[in-house]
Amino acid sequence: MADEPVTFEDAMTRLERIVADLESGTFSLEDSIKKFEEGIRLGKTCREFLDHADVRVRTLTVAANGEPGTEAPVDNE
Amino acid sequence: MSFAEERVFSVAEINALVRELLEGEFSFVAIAGEVSNLRVPASGHVYFKLKDSAAQISVVCFRADARRLDFEMEDGALVIARGNLTLYDAQGSYQLVARVIEPAGRGDLERALRILVARLREEGLFDAARKRPLPRYPSRLAIITSPTGAAIRDILSTIERRFPCVEVLVVPVQVQGDAAPAQIVCALDAVSARGDVDVVILGRGGGSIEDLSAFNHEGVARAIHRCSVPVISAVGHETDVTIADFVADVRAATPTMAAEIAVPSRVELFGQLSALEQRAAARLAGGIDSSRRRVGALVRSYALGQVRGRIEHAMQRLDHASQRVVRAGHMAVNDRRAREGAFAARLNGLNPRDVLRRGYAVCTSASSGEALTSVPDAVREGSVHIVFHDGAASASVHGAVAPAAHKQEATHGR
Repeated sequence: MADEPVTFEDAMTRLERIVADLESGTFSLEDSIKKFEEGIRLGKTCREFLDHADVRVRTLTVAANGEPGTEAPVDNE
Repeated sequence: MSFAEERVFSVAEINALVRELLEGEFSFVAIAGEVSNLRVPASGHVYFKLKDSAAQISVVCFRADARRLDFEMEDGALVIARGNLTLYDAQGSYQLVARVIEPAGRGDLERALRILVARLREEGLFDAARKRPLPRYPSRLAIITSPTGAAIRDILSTIERRFPCVEVLVVPVQVQGDAAPAQIVCALDAVSARGDVDVVILGRGGGSIEDLSAFNHEGVARAIHRCSVPVISAVGHETDVTIADFVADVRAATPTMAAEIAVPSRVELFGQLSALEQRAAARLAGGIDSSRRRVGALVRSYALGQVRGRIEHAMQRLDHASQRVVRAGHMAVNDRRAREGAFAARLNGLNPRDVLRRGYAVCTSASSGEALTSVPDAVREGSVHIVFHDGAASASVHGAVAPAAHKQEATHGR
């Protein structure tokens, strides 16, 4: 199995590719089942991402002279 | 000048003097500008500010004159107001008492703006071809806006509701005033330089009516243009599109809409996930069915003894396969949301036990326990077990049924 997806985009894109692979019908039954199992895992990961409790908000303060600026977490609601 | 000679005015006196000067010098003036902060209280008098890029003046148009206005006054409209200047004593501020207001076809403000728009258009800053597609599932999003306005709250709460797995970088800037354009440019350049942001929302503060001139600033337009990340503008009003809106990759009418454009909706995504899983399961069910058919064909077309090993091996693999699918499916089915829809039903269709539940039975040898897949096999064994979904029964095979009778039964049974 490939690495654990770190972003929703990664997980979702991989799931979409797996379904496309399965629908192409070019894989053996054995490989199809492997892909299906991975697809189910990825779907679960996607749902976990979406159930993530809070948006992580950080503030980027940019200096007037265009210096890179400083970043700080926001402990808001 | 000594204190004795110094003339000290009362507030009322100085106001009266200034009023005299104002009314004497400016008894009739025509002023072109953009309408903002338009208010029409119950009195019927019309109050607003006339402004251009750097200045503003208060205007009042009393009810009798306001009644004669033959066009729709609104914020952002460019007008020429004619009347006299006077002093409003209570505030010590001066104002234009407008007698006649007309829409300005070619106000200074508009002319300057038009020239800038034409120039930038010619340079290709507004070209549809250079508008970049937005990422479908952004991981990190930057919001450049006033940290205190309603806009930031609207955007954050919309993201929280729709797509909470995104990380948000808020870049606070002034959105009006002299410092605003430079701050917005710095913010855009800083975000652009980071390389880890997928999409930018550039928004105004979200107060009632604000000065949008920062978003008509050439430097801001160019910063949006050179930004390495797609920019969604949430700046203009319905009636008042700014240059920033023209240059941005996508223009949103409100900050909330900008957030809706920037991130997908989790409700829709849950639906898409279920649909994907169903498609995968359907495909797999199809694959297993056709493998079953192929094994069935093998049974019919070869001499059983020669290929029994191969068939059994294939059957075993097939059973193993459907068990794995069912197991994997259960992982998904256990999920509250995936339980909805045909997914679970489809997976259960793959479970051999459920096939038995539908009225099929498996005939096995009483001695070896192996599945019997043909009439000669069953006749040869004589003593068999019939496996139902809830257990097995023992039976004796008396012989083969005549083909015609078998056919009739089969047709009837289906």
